[in-house]
Amino acid sequence: MTVAYLMNLAVNGAVEGLLVGLLALAVTLVFGVARFPNASAGDVAMVGAYSGWLLQSAIVSLGPLSLVFAGVTAMASAALVSLALYWLVFRALSGRVGVYALIASIGAAFVLRSVVTFFLGHDQQVFAVPLTRALSIGPLRVLPIDLWVGAIALAAMVCVFVILRMTAMGRRMRAIADNPQLAMVSGIPAARTMSGLWLMAGALSGLAGCLLGLKTVIAPEMGWDLLLPAFAATILGSVGNPLGAVIGGVIIGIAQEVSTPFVGFTYKIAIGFVVMLLVLLVRPEGLFVARARVR
Amino acid sequence: MKNLQMNRRHVLAGLGTTAALATVGLPVKHARAAGSPAMIGALNPVSGAGSAYGSGMQKAIIMAAEEINAAGGAAGQMIEVIGEDTQTSPEAAVNAAKKLVEVNNVGAILGTWSSGVTLAVMPITTAAGVPLMCTSGAPAISTEDKADLVWRFQATNDRFGRAFAKIADREGYKTAATMAFNNASGIGNTEGFKKSWGGEIVGDVVYEPKRPSYRSELQQVMASNPDVIVMGSYLPDTTIILREWFQLGGKNKWIIPGWAANDKLVEALGAEVCEGVISVESVSNESAESYAHFDKGYQAATGSPASSNVYAAMTYDMMIVWGLAMAAAGEGADSAAVNAKLRDVGNPDGAEVYTFADGVEALKSGPINYQGASSRLDFDEYGDVTPDFGMSVIKDGKIERVAVVSI
Repeated sequence: MTVAYLMNLAVNGAVEGLLVGLLALAVTLVFGVARFPNASAGDVAMVGAYSGWLLQSAIVSLGPLSLVFAGVTAMASAALVSLALYWLVFRALSGRVGVYALIASIGAAFVLRSVVTFFLGHDQQVFAVPLTRALSIGPLRVLPIDLWVGAIALAAMVCVFVILRMTAMGRRMRAIADNPQLAMVSGIPAARTMSGLWLMAGALSGLAGCLLGLKTVIAPEMGWDLLLPAFAATILGSVGNPLGAVIGGVIIGIAQEVSTPFVGFTYKIAIGFVVMLLVLLVRPEGLFVARARVR
Repeated sequence: MKNLQMNRRHVLAGLGTTAALATVGLPVKHARAAGSPAMIGALNPVSGAGSAYGSGMQKAIIMAAEEINAAGGAAGQMIEVIGEDTQTSPEAAVNAAKKLVEVNNVGAILGTWSSGVTLAVMPITTAAGVPLMCTSGAPAISTEDKADLVWRFQATNDRFGRAFAKIADREGYKTAATMAFNNASGIGNTEGFKKSWGGEIVGDVVYEPKRPSYRSELQQVMASNPDVIVMGSYLPDTTIILREWFQLGGKNKWIIPGWAANDKLVEALGAEVCEGVISVESVSNESAESYAHFDKGYQAATGSPASSNVYAAMTYDMMIVWGLAMAAAGEGADSAAVNAKLRDVGNPDGAEVYTFADGVEALKSGPINYQGASSRLDFDEYGDVTPDFGMSVIKDGKIERVAVVSI
């Protein structure tokens, strides 16, 4: 086993981690502001992937441009679904303990999956993408799709950071996250601000779903299966911290893949969680609690 | 909702029996009172990963039951099929099996598909003394079946592995690596291959399901430059693995089970990636009269040829062979007595018969040996059969059978 071999493993892990981190970004935003772990994020991502696929299969003649439209459609439809969930379900539960909203979000996830399977069935679907060979960058072999996943995840992270830190909407979100009552008496329109938050979280989920669909296959369970790693990344990176969510995902991803020569492929998932446990033993609040958080 | 069309009501309607509703909740367990129909559970993957096969499997059971009833029933009793959906999920299958056993008092359950489902349902049926007939491949099903109540109409994964080894020899491969989905079926395939192949195994990976990528796994097996990679896999993971393998510039050959290397794989990846992939599946007893007979009925019932669903021939045989065993056991026999007759009517030394009606007729003059539509249907000491295997190669996006392999 050479250094190049391990470096390739690390790249694989980083790409997986960025993908997980993108969904974790959506989870951590809602966690930070609405104060509950949103288990419907994965299935919102799945809805995004399916709607992107539906659009792309209709306009596949446009070539690579069709994928851009698919990505935009995925984000838009997932954002709308996410907003609808807020207005129909989570808004009514906002005053209560987080566990109510958690259970409701699991229910919402089941509903979304059932609706999709009802209309589109269980069969796997794939985006129509011309397959390209891997690029050689020094000792590394990198798939073009992986470069896209990395670039898009980083861009999304920057966008979230800019929105939270440099816009009035972001300031309002942080105010609500910090103290909902105080924000309300200060005249911050809670419902409108929260709508913005859910739209943003939904769009991120949709993007994650679309990229996962590009990299793997589109199936009804795809989002749910990504949810647990996304929760782990959220916790590792400190709940409510957007940067932490992405870095948390990358750390878990790299730890998993680089461990494979030593523990094999069946136990690598456990290794990811062992790393999380070890970090939390030393820093129970997660890695980045003192740094830029939502609130 | 195309996958869920076949619910219990449809099945009953298909049978054309209205007495069904009155029999729900019969207090008598497994005892077959003359006059009342024999209840049979059809527990198939109508939805979920097996949905491509499930409805056809259930229709084949109903078809066989109609055939038995048209011949005057088995040992004087009509057959009534109660259809349930496993959703290809062990949880849903367990609930459905409990319902079939406890509410419907079925005499046998036919047609579970994936190994995970069969292994989950087995403890329930065995505890209730209800025979279970499956189309699953996991070797553990044989060893767990201590009461001899589980019957397998599909090749074990171990036998698949042996067929893979024969094909690897036929193609002259010298080195091989294996990749197995981490469950009893996936590992069963590759273990069966490793045990019976004489060539050199240069790589061996067991991978987890539902990963966003299999690059690291591929990196390991490709580092050893095998002539061929032998898979124990399913469609979604095979899609991802082959796509990444192609992008990484892989050159080796592939031997993949037929339920993963099928038209859907070609559709997902395109002809170039799949070129030369060897797909191996168990094939029906295509030269037998019973297969021609089944094919005709199946086409009439579903509009598709029997070759479109290899599992439908298996479930058809389940019902027919159970009916023959009922006939052999005689009037009023319980499930255990019928179960004990299955080898008598399926295994050699007896008049070879190809339909239920002929079988019943021949039983009057001596022992019979039913030659199934799915295989010769000779059960070994574990209740497993040994079908033949078809070796197909994907060329220009078409899956073409090139040989039939017997092990």
